[in-house]
Amino acid sequence: MADRSGRVRPTRAPNQMMLRRTLFLMIVCGIVAFIVLGIQLFRLQILEHDKYGDAATNQQLRETLVSASRGTIYDRNDKILAASADVSTIFISPAEIAKNNEDPVLIAQGLSEILGVDYGKILEMTQDTKSWYKTVSRKVEDELTERVREFKSEHELIGVKIESDTKRYYPYGSLASHVIGFVGTENYGLSGIESYYDDVLSGADGRVIRATTSAGTQLLYTNFEDYYDAENGSDIVLTVDATIQYYLEKHLKQAVEDYDIQKGAAAIAMDPKTGEILGLVSLDNFDLNNYQAVNEETQAEIDAAVTDEEKSQIRQDAQQKMWRNKAISDTYEPGSTFKIITLSMALEEGVTTLNDSFYCGGSIQVTGDNEPRKCWKTIGHGSQTLTQSVQHSCNVAFITLGVRLGAQTFYRYAEAFGFLNLPEDTSVYPTAKTGIDIAGESGSIWWTQDVFYQPLNLSQLAAASFGQTFTITPIQLITAVSACVNGGYLMKPYLVKQVIAPDGEVSAANQPTVVRQVISEQTSAQVRQILERVVGDPVDGTGKNAYVAGYEIGGKTGTSEKVAQDAQGVGQKEYIVSFIGVAPASDPQIVILVLLDTPSHETGIYISGGNMGAPTVGRMMADILPYLGVEADYSDQELQVIDKTVPAVKGMSLEQAQNAVTQAGLTYRVIGDGETVTDQLPTAYSVIASDSQIILYAGAEPSPDQEAVPSLINYSYRDAALILSNYGLFVQADGSVTSPEYQIVSTQSIPEGEMVEHGTVVHVTLVSGDTDILGHY
Amino acid sequence: MNYSDDRLVDYRTDATIERGGMDLPFATLTILLLTIGVIMVLSASYVRAYYTEHGNATYYFTRQLVFALSGIVIMFIASKFPIQFYRKLAYVLMAATAVLLMLVLVVGIGPSAGVKRWIQLPGGQTIQPSEFAKIAVILVFADMICKYKNYMGTFRYGILPFCIVLGGLGLLLIMEPHMSATIIIVLIGAVMMFVGGTRLFWFVLGGSVVAILFFVITVMFPYMSTRIVTWRDPFSNMQGDGYQIVQSLYAIGSGGMFGRGLGQSMQKYLYLPEEHNDFIFAVVCEELGFVGAIIILILFAMLIIRGYWIAMHCRDRYSFLVAVGISTLLAMQVILNVAVVTNTIPCTGISLPFFSYGGTALWVELGEMGILLSISRDVPAEPKERNKTAQKLRSDL
Repeated sequence: MADRSGRVRPTRAPNQMMLRRTLFLMIVCGIVAFIVLGIQLFRLQILEHDKYGDAATNQQLRETLVSASRGTIYDRNDKILAASADVSTIFISPAEIAKNNEDPVLIAQGLSEILGVDYGKILEMTQDTKSWYKTVSRKVEDELTERVREFKSEHELIGVKIESDTKRYYPYGSLASHVIGFVGTENYGLSGIESYYDDVLSGADGRVIRATTSAGTQLLYTNFEDYYDAENGSDIVLTVDATIQYYLEKHLKQAVEDYDIQKGAAAIAMDPKTGEILGLVSLDNFDLNNYQAVNEETQAEIDAAVTDEEKSQIRQDAQQKMWRNKAISDTYEPGSTFKIITLSMALEEGVTTLNDSFYCGGSIQVTGDNEPRKCWKTIGHGSQTLTQSVQHSCNVAFITLGVRLGAQTFYRYAEAFGFLNLPEDTSVYPTAKTGIDIAGESGSIWWTQDVFYQPLNLSQLAAASFGQTFTITPIQLITAVSACVNGGYLMKPYLVKQVIAPDGEVSAANQPTVVRQVISEQTSAQVRQILERVVGDPVDGTGKNAYVAGYEIGGKTGTSEKVAQDAQGVGQKEYIVSFIGVAPASDPQIVILVLLDTPSHETGIYISGGNMGAPTVGRMMADILPYLGVEADYSDQELQVIDKTVPAVKGMSLEQAQNAVTQAGLTYRVIGDGETVTDQLPTAYSVIASDSQIILYAGAEPSPDQEAVPSLINYSYRDAALILSNYGLFVQADGSVTSPEYQIVSTQSIPEGEMVEHGTVVHVTLVSGDTDILGHY
Repeated sequence: MNYSDDRLVDYRTDATIERGGMDLPFATLTILLLTIGVIMVLSASYVRAYYTEHGNATYYFTRQLVFALSGIVIMFIASKFPIQFYRKLAYVLMAATAVLLMLVLVVGIGPSAGVKRWIQLPGGQTIQPSEFAKIAVILVFADMICKYKNYMGTFRYGILPFCIVLGGLGLLLIMEPHMSATIIIVLIGAVMMFVGGTRLFWFVLGGSVVAILFFVITVMFPYMSTRIVTWRDPFSNMQGDGYQIVQSLYAIGSGGMFGRGLGQSMQKYLYLPEEHNDFIFAVVCEELGFVGAIIILILFAMLIIRGYWIAMHCRDRYSFLVAVGISTLLAMQVILNVAVVTNTIPCTGISLPFFSYGGTALWVELGEMGILLSISRDVPAEPKERNKTAQKLRSDL
């Protein structure tokens, strides 16, 4: 080789070099490189172990929520008002659909068909392949869930998932909607008891932590699972009685319809001895099972709106209004119902007695007033006793009482009754709340002490004496009035009687709480006596429309002009009419406050608390007192005029039937010439006005003709019965009949002109025809 | 070590050499690593197998076990043939490899569209020609070096012929394309030249050219630069290219000091891709921990060092060069694989010898070990009748 390429210099000592270089290679490839790798492993596995370990754990573990079952809400008699049922959330995991090559079209079609969700929407969800969770449908009922489960297993779909959830059911729909409240899709209580007692009701969700494959499926051969049990929520027993609640709602809704109430209404029933709320209504109410739904009018408005923004704005406004718990959240000027409080203060302080007398010349001027302050009856009430002053709701008398009490004493009592808390800083507006256990209670607003206590200007005191120039909530008023009639004890109002833990033990209970005694037992008895005369006196009582035959009912009317008028309310004044009733007056078991916000002027019915609030409370009492087991005690005169129950005489001999009808306090006429009664109108056990003439058929057939109902409005009850009997129709009063000649029909259940069968009973509401004592106060 | 320059001699290719037993430490280490490797294939693959092979969780394991057992047989048979046999075979093997590499471009299949790496045999088996290219380069270069040993310092003998072979093979591999095989073949070729005596200047020059090329390509091709970014911070692209390496780091990191225990890997539950082939070492780290991983690396290091030890005890130059080549090839595969899995270097597909699932690769690797064992049989021996005909036996090249 050397000779072949002479110019090439042979490598010197090639073996030495080869071995040297091999040694170098061995050190690099066999030692150095491995040390580098060892260091790298040490860094990753020891130094950064926690970082990578946590991140790995994080991706390997899947957490599944186990919904705790939400507690049931019962009324005081263990009727279920709200309960939870198991439902499912159906969701898809687009990431797993993509990973497992599942057919998005098949999935979208299948789910869309079963769940009624838009096909395109589901298909769009499947495109987001980075997502592990896209909700297709929530709160899916068992039946549909089962179909989804079948669909899933039939096509072996890993990407379609089912998760358990709970749904709230309200068996009574809209009953007590503002009390119970509703829960959102995430199972958080959003209003009412559901919200206020959310912690108690909701319990604690459990979790299942499970190590899974990257496809989210179970591991093979091994199973890493950790369970954290769900703690179920506690049950709640309300003080509310579903039956009383029902009666309140029924009659309040009737009143809203009859008097064309524009801005909602509220009613509260309280047990004055305990402070338990027996019923609480705010109107409009709503179906708890579908709490988002608005009423038809609003829906029509929404449909008419052009832009989506407008639509959602209208919907939101309507919902906010509908969900607002008027009885708790809205403050108003109580007007004359507050005179009960002024009366109690005055009697307790001894500034007046039952023997006191007042003269009302139609107006009174107090220090600081520029002009004389008019009584609602501008010609004056003349000379009157204390009781008569209350019966008349005379402002002059009450201003007198207020002035006698003085501003400081008045405020001290207002504080004692829970209407306000006097702040140390006398320039701060006093306010207070009852602290009732429900969300959304508002506070009252009163004049500052600086303004109210001015010795040379008593105008605020004068107005406050008859319930004006301050605003309070309905719940505050009923709580204070309860104190006036229950012996003087201010009770803390409450809605929840008991909390029952999942194990059945009572874990918490609200006991009646006496906040303080405000007036003496004796004063309270006097107040009850006077209030009874407001309702019970058929001549002088402004509250006589609340009278229920057989019961002693006390009460006070209220009609307040709305101060803060809407800008458009130029022409006609807006009023809030109210009535607060107490029964039985000698030993009160229930106090009911009804408040009707802005009756329409269109109905032709004279707007006043006595004309609208009182009959509403009377109708409620008429249903509720018998339900509470309060024995009716009729006077002879009452027995004569109350509505009568038609006896069952069909099949009897004519003679027997005639006796039975006469005994029942009804008259009759006979059609046909048979010996036995073959039919009767109206049907047996109908309740109709006394002295109504029932028809006995002796062999003859009732005519199949229909009759047009005549208008009964403004006829006396007796006349109404007579008019209808000409048509073969009958009348029954909702509420109490005390003097059929003087009570006139205010509303009728079947409108004029509607065709009805013979024997139909028309229900009517009555008001006193004697309007000269019914005023705006 | 202080060798005299006549420590290495060139045996004639037709020399009959008295052969001893094979090197037991090397054989033992090989079988030990193979055993651990097959067990790890079982552990790492059963989840994937369950899902992709219709519930047959031991699918990959069973196949790997069959390959391993037959591979051991191949290794022993290979160790029986004398090194002269392989020397004679070298150029035939190289020619065959070249033909296969051309063939694969026509009929080959690959892991994704446009990539051709394997040739499908009628029995369903696939072979990867690039595996054969590696050993062919070693066998051919060793022979060339023996021939040019005195002129390796020159460009004409020390550079040109080698670069022609490497260039040809490299071109064919780039056309597949198969980047990791190209790198390994160029590296192993360079190492052979380095040991053979090519002047260091050329390595400095070649290294510089590669560095500049690398830099230019990185700047010019956004694909390459994102790859670098992904390497520096794989978490920046976790859902994309960084996914695999991030999953690998999760596996290694969560192993900690002593690991989750054999069979307890969580990452193999379809989180970590290629968990039973290229990324099997991540599962090893997760299950056996730092301690287990280090023990396995030490076993590999011992095997590699023993390979060099055998080389350095050779009398025959060709045996020496082949032994160095095979040891270095083994070392490169192990080091590059572990470096990729631990994100020490950017990601590329290199399998871990004796561990990664794959039939032909395992056979070729064990065959290479067989060649090394064959060389080890000659180590204590001298050619027969050394004293009389030593001169004759030595090549007069």
